Amino acid sequence: MRAFGNRTLVTGMAMSVLAFLYAPILVMMVFSFNDSQYTGLPFNGFTLRWYEALFSDEQMLMSIWNSVFVGLGVVVISVLFGVPAAIALDRYEFPGKGLFRRIVMLPLVLPGIITGIALLGFYLTIHLRLSLYTIMLGQGTALMCVTITEVFARLQQLGKSQAEAAANLGANDWEIFKNVTFPGIRSALFGAMLIAFSISFDEIAVTFLLTGRENTLPMTLWSLLRREVTPEVNAVATLIVFLSIILIVAGMYASRGHANESEA
Amino acid sequence: MTTGIELRNLRKLFEGHGHASWAVDGVDMTIGAGKFVTLLGPSGCGKTTTLRMIAGLEMPTSGQIFRDGQDITDQPVTDRDMRMVFQDFALFPNMTIEDNVAFGLRVKSKKGKYTEPQIQQRVAEFLDLVHLKDHAHKKPHQLSGGQKQRVSLARALVTDPKVVLFDEPLGSLDANLRKIMQLELIRLHRELGKTFIYVTHDQDEAMAMSDAIAVMSQGKVMQFGTPREIYDRPANRYVASFIGHAHIVDATVDSKQADSLSVRLRNGDRVGLRGKADAAPGSAVGLMLRAEDLAFADAATDTIGGRVVDSLYRGEYVEYVVALNGNSGVVHVHARTDLPPVAHGSAVALKVNPAKAHVVVH
Repeated sequence: MRAFGNRTLVTGMAMSVLAFLYAPILVMMVFSFNDSQYTGLPFNGFTLRWYEALFSDEQMLMSIWNSVFVGLGVVVISVLFGVPAAIALDRYEFPGKGLFRRIVMLPLVLPGIITGIALLGFYLTIHLRLSLYTIMLGQGTALMCVTITEVFARLQQLGKSQAEAAANLGANDWEIFKNVTFPGIRSALFGAMLIAFSISFDEIAVTFLLTGRENTLPMTLWSLLRREVTPEVNAVATLIVFLSIILIVAGMYASRGHANESEA
Repeated sequence: MTTGIELRNLRKLFEGHGHASWAVDGVDMTIGAGKFVTLLGPSGCGKTTTLRMIAGLEMPTSGQIFRDGQDITDQPVTDRDMRMVFQDFALFPNMTIEDNVAFGLRVKSKKGKYTEPQIQQRVAEFLDLVHLKDHAHKKPHQLSGGQKQRVSLARALVTDPKVVLFDEPLGSLDANLRKIMQLELIRLHRELGKTFIYVTHDQDEAMAMSDAIAVMSQGKVMQFGTPREIYDRPANRYVASFIGHAHIVDATVDSKQADSLSVRLRNGDRVGLRGKADAAPGSAVGLMLRAEDLAFADAATDTIGGRVVDSLYRGEYVEYVVALNGNSGVVHVHARTDLPPVAHGSAVALKVNPAKAHVVVH
């Protein structure tokens, strides 16, 4: 640490970065317990009534559930199509492979609003009724690339020889996948699932264009905020922050498991 | 019917970005059952690709592979029952050492062949064979490189294959460990009586362990023979210069008898040697001279004249670098350390051991 010279300065800078990042979130969490109609000072006292309000707000609960439902669906789609795509990219030669590998990243780079408009036009053309499923499909196809790139990178890192060794020992394709390939990519896959879920959970551009009658949480919050910032919104946000922390810890555990294995 | 592995005009084309090259270019070879055969050559000579084709991990572009007279060219890797030991060990990191070794006994294609107690007994037996009995419940990342390679070996041997393939198995180990493992492999080959096909770029390793060596270069087998044949009677310049510290000096055949011949160097010095050569009098050949086959002598007929340009004290011997007269080339000479040192620049005469000097035509 001495290399950085002035210790006070470094600590100060680090603290201010952390403060800019997390102080607003902390303030929001504090206000979710504030016994006041408005988000702001003075602090009138501790209350859980905004959480009560939240848990009796049918519309809010429904939209949370919708978001979770869409997120899970997106994870399923991206795993179901992403894993085979990653394995194909890693193991087989096929025409247009180079192009496919690059183009697969496109949905992540394209602005969500463009993807949304394109998908909306497409769904309307084939007369698909807009619903949670169309959101799922829209986000899932876009977020598939997270799974593909994460799993593909892991497969490349693992190399072929473990799978070859298994085949050489008489294992069939399924046994190779079950005993060698899947354990090898498990943590990468878990990481990709977390990323896909959390991106899906707060996605608004594609969702805004593709939603039917049901709303996801970001949409509901958005429409609430257009009227005023109620402490109930703070309560929801606080819960989501805690959920995110749990997901981050889970992700760290998954990648730590891999660090041990990769030494082998 | 031949027993063992037979390769017939085996070829493999590798296609890269816009260009293609023959990684293996017409390999013919018969590897007798129970033999220890090494494919030796520099990286990119096609030795690993040849091994991978024998294993079924790579499909030949053309040519055939026979095993005990039966064509197995199109047989899938899973059914070949030849076990491979990989350079990077290729252990399964999520399984214990025990489960790694048991893997080949538990696969579906082996179902019913062994009961679970039999599997455990066999695994224990083979872990004992490679001295890893106490590590059965560890994970691969807890073992050292040498231990990992022994696990890989046990995993290959436990299924009782007739043929074991080795792809530079000692390549990632340090020199001391490599020597120990070489002895271990020789012992296992002797005790188990299986065919070992071994790939390496290390000629000392190949010489020490093999019944026969195939020296490969640019996808072709340059010579296939016993280590002694390859060392003493290399078939061509490539093999002569690749194996051991040989120097090849340009010469012309002077005269030729039934089992001896005489060659003349560029500077006019004449060397007589025993053996046969496939060259008529007057034709250009290369005279292979190894440091241990040369000795300082008094100037006389049948000696080569030169001048000492360098000397290196090696402990076991003194290595002199001698430039031959008439710009004929440079040779190295090993001299006993108890002899008086020869000063730089002094003129010397070299006597060639006629039984060991050898002529290469190509």
